[in-house]
Amino acid sequence: MSVSFQSLTKRFGADLAIDSLDLDIEPESFTVFCGPPKCGKSVLFRLLVGLETPDSGSIILNGTDITRIGPANRQVGYVPQSFALYPHLTVYQNIAYPLTLARRPKDEIARRVDRAAGILSITHLLEKTPDLLSGGEKQRTAVARGLLHDASVFVLDDPLVGLDYKLRERLMDELKSLQTELKATFLYATSDSMEALTMAERLIVLDKGRKVQDGSVETVYREPDHLRAMELIGFPRANLIGGRHSSGLLEAGPFRIPLHRDTPGEVVIGIRPEAIKLGGNQGIAASAEVRLVEDLGSEYVVYLDSNGQALTAAYPVGDSPAPAFQSSQGFAVEPRDIVIFDAGSGARIGRGAA
Amino acid sequence: MNAESLKRKGYYAVLWLTSLLFFAPVAWIVMSSFKTRNDILAVPPKLIFSPTFDNYLDLLDRNTSFVLQFANSVVLSLSAVVIAVVVSFLAAFCFSRFKPKGTNFLMFILLSIRMLPAPAVILPVYLMYANFGWKDSHIALILFYAMFSIPFSVWILKGFLDGVSVRFDETGLVNGGSWLHVIFRVVLPQLKPGLIAAFIFNMIFVWNEFLFNFIVGGVSTQNIPYALAVGTYSDGGLNWTFIATLTTIYIIPPIVFIYLFQKYLLAGMTFGTVRGEV
Repeated sequence: MSVSFQSLTKRFGADLAIDSLDLDIEPESFTVFCGPPKCGKSVLFRLLVGLETPDSGSIILNGTDITRIGPANRQVGYVPQSFALYPHLTVYQNIAYPLTLARRPKDEIARRVDRAAGILSITHLLEKTPDLLSGGEKQRTAVARGLLHDASVFVLDDPLVGLDYKLRERLMDELKSLQTELKATFLYATSDSMEALTMAERLIVLDKGRKVQDGSVETVYREPDHLRAMELIGFPRANLIGGRHSSGLLEAGPFRIPLHRDTPGEVVIGIRPEAIKLGGNQGIAASAEVRLVEDLGSEYVVYLDSNGQALTAAYPVGDSPAPAFQSSQGFAVEPRDIVIFDAGSGARIGRGAA
Repeated sequence: MNAESLKRKGYYAVLWLTSLLFFAPVAWIVMSSFKTRNDILAVPPKLIFSPTFDNYLDLLDRNTSFVLQFANSVVLSLSAVVIAVVVSFLAAFCFSRFKPKGTNFLMFILLSIRMLPAPAVILPVYLMYANFGWKDSHIALILFYAMFSIPFSVWILKGFLDGVSVRFDETGLVNGGSWLHVIFRVVLPQLKPGLIAAFIFNMIFVWNEFLFNFIVGGVSTQNIPYALAVGTYSDGGLNWTFIATLTTIYIIPPIVFIYLFQKYLLAGMTFGTVRGEV
């Protein structure tokens, strides 16, 4: 089923939570919404599910306008951010809840609950009540319940937040294959870079209720259109340095970049950690002191201090040995690896060099 | 023996003494119900005596309206409180979930009816009931008690309802449940402590109610407090055996209720704020 938002606007008092958003989502696609807290992703999902009413605009589900239809009749599966498991029901009854409400036959319910519980490895918990579960177990129960809805659009609001690393990695795979198998449309919100990069077929970056970038993972990663896209996507996080430019020169931290632009003003430059080449000399060179080196196995993450400006560099293990603690290191950044954003709007101005 | 355990023992001694002090009149009444008239009034009071069941047999035998009075007490309190709790639950749900404009003010207005002393309202209520021809009617009295029990129940239940997350409602709605489903199948089962607390509080109120029963009610609706008031001087002097026996029977139901549900009672007194303890 396709989902489409048409100039959707939602206000809470004076706060603009969703700012005239236009968006079409293809059937059977996996779309990830990424953004800082309060960027509007939860509100957008609540609007789609029917728990909030938009101030203007409309929501179209497979050609039908559902803007004024109540949540019970929308047929959208929802995994909320809070678990909201019913304390008076067992885990089994909680998971079976959407199917019980839909009056499905008992054997079908049992089959589907067992399968969902198996995927989320909570089969051994089915007879317990939610108050006996750990946070992660509650979360998996909530995910199982959300996915057992007889819907073909599913909305998952940061369902894996806080789960341990291994489980998260497995569940990301499971969710992906489940989506393919169900031939369902998944809308998925996260503020985690790894989840966004792993799962997204299409990645939408939201900021202050507006869509600031929309594209494939590669596009968002390589050509961030907005400060938020650069900030949120990528691990280790991109270096963001505030600065200003005037009379053809941009100054930000240790960097002096020639920039030809008529209006002077505040900017933020973004540099991916892997673009900082330790010991390099191509492009803009500077030096810094090594503050900390993290060995991630496959790569080194080096935390630098360049005249009071903290920088993060990353490079594959094997390219060169790890730099010594507190040693002084020369480094260089190619101007075209520097992305320049307007500090006010966050929009991309350009790069250090074409 | 260290100072800490001495302090503890001191606490317990004080607690026991206080409890005994408060329990003494109850013990006296209960013991008196098994004594003869002479034993009751003996000086010094007799702690050791040969118990007799004559008073109880007398009560059932001679006092022909005892069964009616007891049944009235049970029927009046149970039905009034059940009506009150059902109505209050729905009202509290609306206050808690839909938050109509001026919720706090409305809640205050609701409770203000209980700020008036009963004698201040008895006259208008009496005139109204007399004119409507509602005197001495079970249904009319039940409605009055229910009306009087609703404000406090709404307060208790709203406290508990505010503690039940709206996320539960939302999950019900999103999965295809109606509002009725959310109210009765999602929220109600989580409200058990609140319902029991509201139930007991109002139960105690109606069980002990005398004034309205005496004035607005009548012969056919008389309850135990009414019987106690009327029967006390029934045989010339103070009829101690009658008082002791009827009182003993009268206090058993509330004691059993409170003993069984005492943890909910505490939650109810704090309007649900110690929900975690239950």
